[in-house]
Amino acid sequence: MKTVIITGATSGIGLETVRLLTNRGYRVLGVGHSGKNCFRAEQELLTVNPNAQIAFYSADLMQQRQVLRVVEELSVELDKTGGELHALINNAGAVRSWYTTTEEGYEQQFALNHLAGFLLTAKLLPYLQKGKGRVIMTGSGSHKGIKIHWDDVMLRRGYNPLTAYKQSKLCNILFAKGLSDRNLGIHSYTVDPGLVKTDIGNKQTGGFVNLIWSMRKRSGVTPEIPAKTYLYLCEQDPAPTGLYYHYKLSRRPPICEIPYSKQVTSENATRLFTLSEKLCGIEFETTLSERKAVS
Amino acid sequence: MNAFITGAAGGLGRAMAVECAQRGYHLFLTDVNPAGLIHLQQGLERRFGVTVAVRTCDLTDSADVDSMLSVIDQNSLKFELLLNIAGLDFEGGFLEREREKLVKIVTLNNAATLRITHAILERRRENRRFTAVFVSSLASMFPMPLKATYAASKRFLLDFACALRQELKGRNTNVLALCPGGLVTTESAMEGIAAQGFWGNATTNPIETVARKTLDRAFTGKALYIPGLLNRTLSFFGKLLPRTVVAKAVYSRWHKAQSQRETL
Repeated sequence: MKTVIITGATSGIGLETVRLLTNRGYRVLGVGHSGKNCFRAEQELLTVNPNAQIAFYSADLMQQRQVLRVVEELSVELDKTGGELHALINNAGAVRSWYTTTEEGYEQQFALNHLAGFLLTAKLLPYLQKGKGRVIMTGSGSHKGIKIHWDDVMLRRGYNPLTAYKQSKLCNILFAKGLSDRNLGIHSYTVDPGLVKTDIGNKQTGGFVNLIWSMRKRSGVTPEIPAKTYLYLCEQDPAPTGLYYHYKLSRRPPICEIPYSKQVTSENATRLFTLSEKLCGIEFETTLSERKAVS
Repeated sequence: MNAFITGAAGGLGRAMAVECAQRGYHLFLTDVNPAGLIHLQQGLERRFGVTVAVRTCDLTDSADVDSMLSVIDQNSLKFELLLNIAGLDFEGGFLEREREKLVKIVTLNNAATLRITHAILERRRENRRFTAVFVSSLASMFPMPLKATYAASKRFLLDFACALRQELKGRNTNVLALCPGGLVTTESAMEGIAAQGFWGNATTNPIETVARKTLDRAFTGKALYIPGLLNRTLSFFGKLLPRTVVAKAVYSRWHKAQSQRETL
């Protein structure tokens, strides 16, 4: 049985993806923001499919110490079953109306939408390599038309929720690019879910963001649509070779590669990689050699 | 250049610490939250490459403060900047709050702030300009029913800062009082601002901008900084109206906000 780890697993796109994956016989380890949400999601899934192989872990992933703690818990579970990880889906994301910071003093959208996935991937890399696994990021079409603000990546000057969100989504695809450039023996992708009816813009936002998102999400698709894209990227054998995937209702087959921003270059990917390593206090290469030393 | 920051692991303290680190200050940070301090230290050192020292300290405990000061003296640390951020509030009616909690507001916001200010001024670097910032509040401008103790404690800081500034003017020192409206510092602050509706949003200031402008103004010798045009207008009219009228208006606003929050 193949194991998939997914963050942001208790609602929206994440929860739907868990449902699809467990129905196809994957074992899913889901990470959610609160214990209460994890419990509710688990009950909901088991009611429909009592044989679903799922376990939930709660962690506030924008705080790096919680990423490190949940990695320990996930490692225990992975080690029990041979240590192969088939896929890691970095899906957890948020929008913040105001500039707010994590314990490290990092801006929360950047910290959760990008750095959390970066750190989690780095720490789970040995398991992914063992399983010749896939890393899938939840991106967004909104990553187009923006550049990384290299001189002020946390956007302390002129913070705007949408700019911070778009930039974090550009980071997601740059991270996928950086991973594939490094030839780590794993595959990496970004999914553009399109406009989806989820509550991302209503959680801890308030004011304009809340109002605008409440209106905008009405024209979105249900989360099952993008969930199929994640399932596709997990199931295809051999693994797909593209970087950026989307479910287009009008296309046959509907899941296809679509164009992404010209900002997604190897140069920018490397720059983000180096910055993220610094901000997480880690080195990907060290993680690799540690693994070699262990095995 | 060294800066001493109290309440550094919280929202405004953290924003101030980031601002100082970006300006190249080495930092001595204190807070009651040890984990928060350690992670902030890591974040700042990784991001800005400055030296950050942290020490958990209960500023209301004079023995704890003394032991922190002895660490500072052992390392012969001297400071150019002091940011008094630590403060707290227990919102709600006077009779509805526990007595000790009410006293704690004044013990931390006032007594502890005086203790630290005196201690750090004694440890200022010689022959260099010194700057001290006190975090007062927009609440200091008005008598505030349901936040009576807090608002009065912030009034204390406002008047104290102004007077101290005058006293130290001849000694190459500036003292600034910061009087912000709402700041989005925690999830519960976000909820509180949402519960106040329009006025909550309108009087809320972006924390990162407040941090930057506070230091800009403190370094250019200003005495007072009220972020936001609306907040400045409110404080202006607050001075024109009789204080009993202001108290009545404030009471009706807070009473409404709090009952809305309870029903959420």
